[in-house]
Amino acid sequence: MVRAVEAGYGAVRVLHGVSLEVREGETVALLGTNGNGKSTLIKCIMGMVAPAGGEIFLEREGRRVDLTRKSTEEIVSLGIALVPEGRRLFPKLSVEENLLLGAYRAQARAGIARNLAFCFEAFPVLRARRRQLAGSMSGGEQQMLAIARALMSSPQILLVDEPSVGLAPILVSRVIAKIKELKEQYQLTVLMAEQNFNQATKIADRGYIIVHGKIEFEGRDTRELRENELVKKYYLGV
Amino acid sequence: MSLIFGLLDIANIAQPAFLIAGSYAAYVLNSAYGVDPIVVGVALTPLFYLIGAGVYRVYYATFERRGEESLRGLVFFFGLLFIIEVSLSMRFGVDYRMAQAAYVGKSIDLGGGVGVAYRYLVPCLVGLAMTLTLYVFLGRTFYGRAIMAVSQDQGALRLMGANPIHIKTIAFGIGIAAASLAGALLVTIAPVIPSTDRDYIGRMFAITVLGGMGSIGGTLVAAVILGVAETLMATFFGPSWSLAVSFGILLLALAVRPAGLFGR
Repeated sequence: MVRAVEAGYGAVRVLHGVSLEVREGETVALLGTNGNGKSTLIKCIMGMVAPAGGEIFLEREGRRVDLTRKSTEEIVSLGIALVPEGRRLFPKLSVEENLLLGAYRAQARAGIARNLAFCFEAFPVLRARRRQLAGSMSGGEQQMLAIARALMSSPQILLVDEPSVGLAPILVSRVIAKIKELKEQYQLTVLMAEQNFNQATKIADRGYIIVHGKIEFEGRDTRELRENELVKKYYLGV
Repeated sequence: MSLIFGLLDIANIAQPAFLIAGSYAAYVLNSAYGVDPIVVGVALTPLFYLIGAGVYRVYYATFERRGEESLRGLVFFFGLLFIIEVSLSMRFGVDYRMAQAAYVGKSIDLGGGVGVAYRYLVPCLVGLAMTLTLYVFLGRTFYGRAIMAVSQDQGALRLMGANPIHIKTIAFGIGIAAASLAGALLVTIAPVIPSTDRDYIGRMFAITVLGGMGSIGGTLVAAVILGVAETLMATFFGPSWSLAVSFGILLLALAVRPAGLFGR
C-alpha cells in the first residue's frame, strides 16, 4: 500500500502524490512510458530512494509496518523481493553463486536446497549453466536469473521493474509468462512496473497508469485498462 | 591483500604494516613468555580482526562515504603505514628481531643430503592451511559470497538483504587478521625490522594482480611463481634484481592475460 508518495532526486520532483494499493495474491501492473516515475516509485518501496512525503506501508495480519524509515535490507527481510531494472546481477560470480546470494536473508537460508531445486526446475537453462559466470549469459538468460535470484529469498511479495527492457519480443512474452507461472506456483503478490502494455496486461489482474509522476488512471480489470483513452493516446498512437 | 584490494577494491597499502605489526606481536610474546610465535599469531587473529574492522569503519566514515576513496584514501593508508612503522621503530628500535620456537634448528632429512628445516616447513603448512580456510570461507559461506559480490554491485547486494558496509567491515577485519598471522609466520622464518614492510608493498600488489584480483588460489600460485623467480634472480644475478623480476613477470603476464592468471 502506497499513499500520496512524493519523491525526487535533488531539486527534481519525480512523483507527485502517487497512491496505489496491491492486495494479497494480486498481480498489479504499473504502466507508463519511460521517465514517468515507475522505477522511482519501486525504488521508494524498496528503500533505495527516500520519499520526501507520503506513506508506504505493509499490512500484515492486521498490523501495519511502515516502510519509509527502513533500510533496503530490512525491507528485504520482511519478505519483499525486487527484480531490479537492468537486472543488476553479479557478473563475475557464477549463476549458482548469484542464486545462493539471493537466499542471504535469514528466513530464506533454511529452504535453500528446496528453492534452488525449484529454480532449476523452473529455469532448466540455469541448471545447465550453473557454473558459468552470470555476465557471460545472454540478456534473456540474465533476466531469468534475476527473477530466480529474487525467488531464492522466499518472498511473499515480488516487485518486478521493467522485465522487458533490452529483450527480443519473443523473450519478453516468455519472461512475462514465466512470472505468471511462478506467481501461481508460489502464491506471490506481484507488482510489476512495465512499459510494454500488451505484455503486462496479459498477466495483470488490474493496473495503474502513471503519467508524469501522477496516477492518471486506475483500471479495475484488464478490460478497463485496454479500453482506456490514455492507453490509446500513449501506446496505440491513436 | 587479495581480499581487501582484490575483492573490495580498496588499495590498502598499509597491509604490510599490519604484517610487520603481527611479526612484532608474535616476537614480543615469544621472547617474554616463550610462547610459540605461530600460536601467538593464531591467538591474536581476533584482536587484529577487530583492529582491521575498526580501521575500515574510520576509512568508511572519513573517506568512502563522501566518495573520496581513490586518492585521499590512498593517503590515509599511506599515513597509517608510517604511523605503524614509526611506532614500532620507537618502541623496539631498528634492530633485527626474530622469534624462537622448539623446532627451530631442527630439520627432516629427505635423503640424498636434502633436508627441510622445520623453521620453514611449519610456517609453510600453517600458511597453506590459512589460504585453504580463506578459500573455503569465500566459496562456501553466505558472508564469503557476499564479500565476493560487494564490489560488483553494492545496491544489488542490499537487495539480497545484506548490508554492504557490514560485509566490507568483516572482509577488512579478516584481511588484517590474515596479514598479522602471516607476520607471525614471517618472524619465525626470517628476522624482521620495522621497515621490512616496505619490501612487501610492491610484492603484495604484484601478487594480487598477477593471481587475478580476489582469487585466493591464484594469489597462492602467483606468490609461488614470484617467490621462486625472485630467489633464482637473487642467487644468480644478485638480490637487487629481485623486485624488477616481480614487476617484469607481472607486466608480461598482464600483456597475455589482462585479468591475471586466475581472474574472472
